[in-house]
Amino acid sequence: MTAAERRLPSRVRRSVVAIAAVALAFVILAPLTSIDAAQQAGLPLLTDKLWFRIATTVAMFVVLASGWNIIGGLTGYASFGNVAFFGLGAYTVGVLVQNLGWPFALALVAAPGVAAVFALIIGLPLLRLRGHYFAVATLGVGVAVGEVVNNVGALGASTGLFLPIVRSDLIFFYLMLGTAVLAVLTTWIILRTRFGYGLLAIRENEEAAAVIGVNTTFYKVAAFCVAAALTGLAGGIFAQWNSFINQENVFAITDNVQMILMAVIGGAGTVLGPVAGAIALELIIQTLAGGGSGAVYSQIGLGVLLAVCIIFIPRGVIDFFGGRSRLSLRYFRQTLRETSA
Amino acid sequence: MSLLAVRDVSKRFGGVNALAAVTFNVDQGDVLGIIGPNGAGKTTLLNCISGLYRPDTGDIEWEAETISGMAPYRIARLGIGRTFQIVRPFPSMTVRENTAMGALFGRPHGRLQPGAALAEADEVLDLVGLGEKRHYPVLRLTVPDRKRLEVARALAMRPRLLLLDEVMAGLNHVEVEQALEMVRRVRESGVTIVLIEHVMKVIVGICNRALVLNFGRTLVEGPPAEVLKDRRVIEAYLGERYARSQEPPSDAPPTVEGNQHHPRVGESNEE
Repeated sequence: MTAAERRLPSRVRRSVVAIAAVALAFVILAPLTSIDAAQQAGLPLLTDKLWFRIATTVAMFVVLASGWNIIGGLTGYASFGNVAFFGLGAYTVGVLVQNLGWPFALALVAAPGVAAVFALIIGLPLLRLRGHYFAVATLGVGVAVGEVVNNVGALGASTGLFLPIVRSDLIFFYLMLGTAVLAVLTTWIILRTRFGYGLLAIRENEEAAAVIGVNTTFYKVAAFCVAAALTGLAGGIFAQWNSFINQENVFAITDNVQMILMAVIGGAGTVLGPVAGAIALELIIQTLAGGGSGAVYSQIGLGVLLAVCIIFIPRGVIDFFGGRSRLSLRYFRQTLRETSA
Repeated sequence: MSLLAVRDVSKRFGGVNALAAVTFNVDQGDVLGIIGPNGAGKTTLLNCISGLYRPDTGDIEWEAETISGMAPYRIARLGIGRTFQIVRPFPSMTVRENTAMGALFGRPHGRLQPGAALAEADEVLDLVGLGEKRHYPVLRLTVPDRKRLEVARALAMRPRLLLLDEVMAGLNHVEVEQALEMVRRVRESGVTIVLIEHVMKVIVGICNRALVLNFGRTLVEGPPAEVLKDRRVIEAYLGERYARSQEPPSDAPPTVEGNQHHPRVGESNEE
């Protein structure tokens, strides 16, 4: 029995396997279908550029939410600075491709490395802080890095960086999807190893973890670096996909809040919670934000959703739908009792 | 050579001298009881030994090598396990998983994988009497069982020295007997023990030496029965006047039984 299995009821596991099978079939079949053939065969989804854009965005947020989950959900350190890793990954690709003429593939390998090294540098001092102090300190780092980038001429300053445009919805969709699979797989593997148990121990009681022999500093920094690498990789892909990056689109604190919401609403500390949260929330956002004035309702709707989720299903939708007793007052009462101090 | 040597260890918190030049040795096979009124510095002493605090002055040696200032996880892997007075389980895990964590991380040599650690946890749980509750979530355990779990998690590290911080506090008469039996079994398995306790029956019943702390200083050290008769100890717990009133008119010393319940007055949380 492992930590992941215990957290995942069999009903959910079965449906997830089914969904994964469908997704996998789609992933394998889609590239074989040219756009023309898809049109003739009546597969409207594959011909719709907007659909690809949404699907790629969803995959991107699966990566971001899963990355945040490794430091915030498994280790218990709520980071508001993960967006800095995303931005650094994006700017790494931007600078290497645009300013230094590297091929995109090579630049993309560097992006997670840069983000992880940055996580190491800020993690060593910041991971000594706990709770709100850590959250505020990382928030500061996220904002500061964005401001620095915004003022360095070589990085395009406030104009931003333009990358050569690569027109292929399919390539970026698969890159993001692949990264999302990598992020989920990484979480799954972590939860099955000694490393994962160490992170859970730190989350649940750091001093107790230390006195039974967990090298807490190393574990926390390592988790931060893994989260940063995944987030930086997504940032690198985003840079080339969007072909334009500036402070506003890659260092947005709202993105950081969004990845936290996705992980928490889906179920922090679980393998599939962040996936469920990212898919559900991003689709809701896209639906609500259809028109101009719709954006306002989208924000209001998200706020209400978050409040309801935190109060009634603090363990996330994964626990709720797969949980002990569905849709009953008893479930709400029980989780309320168990999660309130 | 002593297993553990504490030399002139001092620790200040602001203006408070939590520990002032405390010195003692623990030899292989000892069961050393540390007693003293609330705020005497007992838990601070344990925190210094296990590395959660760094002593301001003085030195702590494990088999003649300095360990003061070392990271807690390294001290743990040298073979020093501990429990917390206010229990600190990992709440999302089962009893078995909690215990396995000790085996997974606390071993001095060689790494265990989760599967092997779980198997080892079962052995330890039988020893402390939690075998039948191994699949319980921690939140379902009673207070005495949670204290047992603290001991189990530390034992799973296979420590050579076990530091027990008030594992008997808050237990009723029967539960204390059971806990005593458990500590005896641990001692017989060859583990050296240092325990903090307010329940004097435990100190007399299992310790071969006792150390009394008062305001961070060593008051008395010696065989438990003698230490508990010491006038300074009675004074520290119950005040000078009480000690004087207890002074026997003849030369006959007060009996150990007579003192048993008095120190329990000071029993409560300290941390």
